[in-house]
Amino acid sequence: MNTWRRRIAKERQIWIMTVPMIVWVLVFSYYPMYGMIIAFQNYVPGNSFFSGDWVGFAHFERFFNSPDFGTIMRNTFAISGLNILFGLPAPLILALLLNELKNKAFKRFTQTLSYIPYFISWVVVASILFTLLGSDGLLNKLLIDFGFIREPISFLGEGKYFWSILTTSNVWKDVGFNSIIYLSALASIDREQIEAGKVDGIGRFGTVWHIYLPGIRTTIILLWILGLGGILNAGFEQQLLIGSPTTAEYSEVIDTYVYKYGVQLGYYSFAAAVNLMKAVVSVLLVIGMNRIAKKFFDTSIL
Amino acid sequence: MRDYLKPTLGSRVFDTANVVFMLVFCALMIYPFLNLLAISLNDGVDAARGGIYLFPRKLSFSAYELLFQNKKMLNGFMWSILRVVVGTVACLLATGLLAYLVNIRHFSGRKFMRILFFITMYFNGGFFPVYLLIVNLGLTNSFHVYWLPALFNVYFMLLISSYIQNQPDALFESARIDGAGEFRIYWKIVIPICVPVFAAVSVYLAVSHWNSWFDVVLYNPSGKFDTLQVYLRRLLLEMEGLQQIRDQQVLYNRYRDLSPLTLRAATTIVVTVPILLVYPFVQKYFIGGIMLGSVKG
Repeated sequence: MNTWRRRIAKERQIWIMTVPMIVWVLVFSYYPMYGMIIAFQNYVPGNSFFSGDWVGFAHFERFFNSPDFGTIMRNTFAISGLNILFGLPAPLILALLLNELKNKAFKRFTQTLSYIPYFISWVVVASILFTLLGSDGLLNKLLIDFGFIREPISFLGEGKYFWSILTTSNVWKDVGFNSIIYLSALASIDREQIEAGKVDGIGRFGTVWHIYLPGIRTTIILLWILGLGGILNAGFEQQLLIGSPTTAEYSEVIDTYVYKYGVQLGYYSFAAAVNLMKAVVSVLLVIGMNRIAKKFFDTSIL
Repeated sequence: MRDYLKPTLGSRVFDTANVVFMLVFCALMIYPFLNLLAISLNDGVDAARGGIYLFPRKLSFSAYELLFQNKKMLNGFMWSILRVVVGTVACLLATGLLAYLVNIRHFSGRKFMRILFFITMYFNGGFFPVYLLIVNLGLTNSFHVYWLPALFNVYFMLLISSYIQNQPDALFESARIDGAGEFRIYWKIVIPICVPVFAAVSVYLAVSHWNSWFDVVLYNPSGKFDTLQVYLRRLLLEMEGLQQIRDQQVLYNRYRDLSPLTLRAATTIVVTVPILLVYPFVQKYFIGGIMLGSVKG
């Protein structure tokens, strides 16, 4: 005990700096987790988290039995699924193609341009979409000029286009940036292997198939497992910014639903229950995916 | 020998196709911005006819003139910049200090602190409980909500921490023997040697502060601290844009040639340009940041 106290005294300086950090993390990270218990109550804003009456799993049941449940789950999985289906291979293909470019200056130029959309806010992306896809926008004009349609289509106003627009925007925004990690993995492949392949005459396609892809296998698996672990994160700002009441049938996902009920309509406990359900499943998914990565591929993300 | 040195016909066809593909790809990446730029520089009434692709048809700067006389826009610009500066510096210094402290060998709480923060990376309740907390703390409708809840970033802590780990311990030890306090060591030694990783982290922080929109809507409903992104969003909801033009046109009768379309385009350009301007200078840092991350991960 004495040595303990002496140690603390010696480290007093450090502990003094640490205390505000501990307070911060308790308040901003741990207390909200604890605040989730309102999902089991009928919480009244302004009261403490203990004064509400306990209702058990009533809010969860309400969510599962509501007609919204099916739509929201469908949208979340569809949007995430499309993101995984297109958003995961696209940067890999881009990286492989960039890797084949002979002119290094042109390669660097292309890469530089490809990162730009990643740094643009969703508000700006929404503005771009409003401009390009509006009734007097570029896409409608082209379609009419080429005689595909007679009347402009309201792309942003009709729900059936929403998933494609969102997936395209997501890929457009992230493809360049996400290719960086593949490119750096490609750069770390042993040159000698590639030379040996050339001598064996496997050709360029063969080099990609037998040397490049196996060489970055771990990176690919890791990123794809991470992607699957985040399947419930279907995006949030983009739905609010690009979607509209007329597209809600296709744009409402778990997070926007929580926002609608919790913040806009004030059903605190119900929103907390939906939120909690998502948080729990997300953690389980990440842990599960990590297990798979460890067991089959001997890599870990946690 | 000759076989593998000389490119085959198929190989050359592929190279050409690849270059063509990349040119199209480049155009896709940059065209939306060029299109907006052209529209923003066009006469408003004329732009509403559509058909502007790459160059303005009837050059006019009134959209920008109006924007830069608009108090709301200028206020938004100011809050955005203030938020970027305060938010980035605060998070950088705080997270950096934490990263240093958990790397001090003789600090008995280093493992505890690491775990305490690391857990929050995977176990967080999502946005709603944090929203309730911030409402309960009375932080809504204040500037503090922009930097305080994001003061420590666990991912960046790990990044900076792994960078510090690769520095020779003797650097800090000799200062300690000279009697320097830990905060002094952080300030005088750690920060200077961490410039590369700090630069990378600050790029991401600054961009995310500049770009954030939702937390402004959520936590500052009063509109007093509206950032540029929020202002742009308002314009996107066309009605607002129209109303604003009508109000402004009463004030400035000469702006007859405006339309929501050009005003929106001009605002989008104003929101985007700061990022494009700093972009060439910071490119090497954010790529460095990814490499650092991948070494650790």
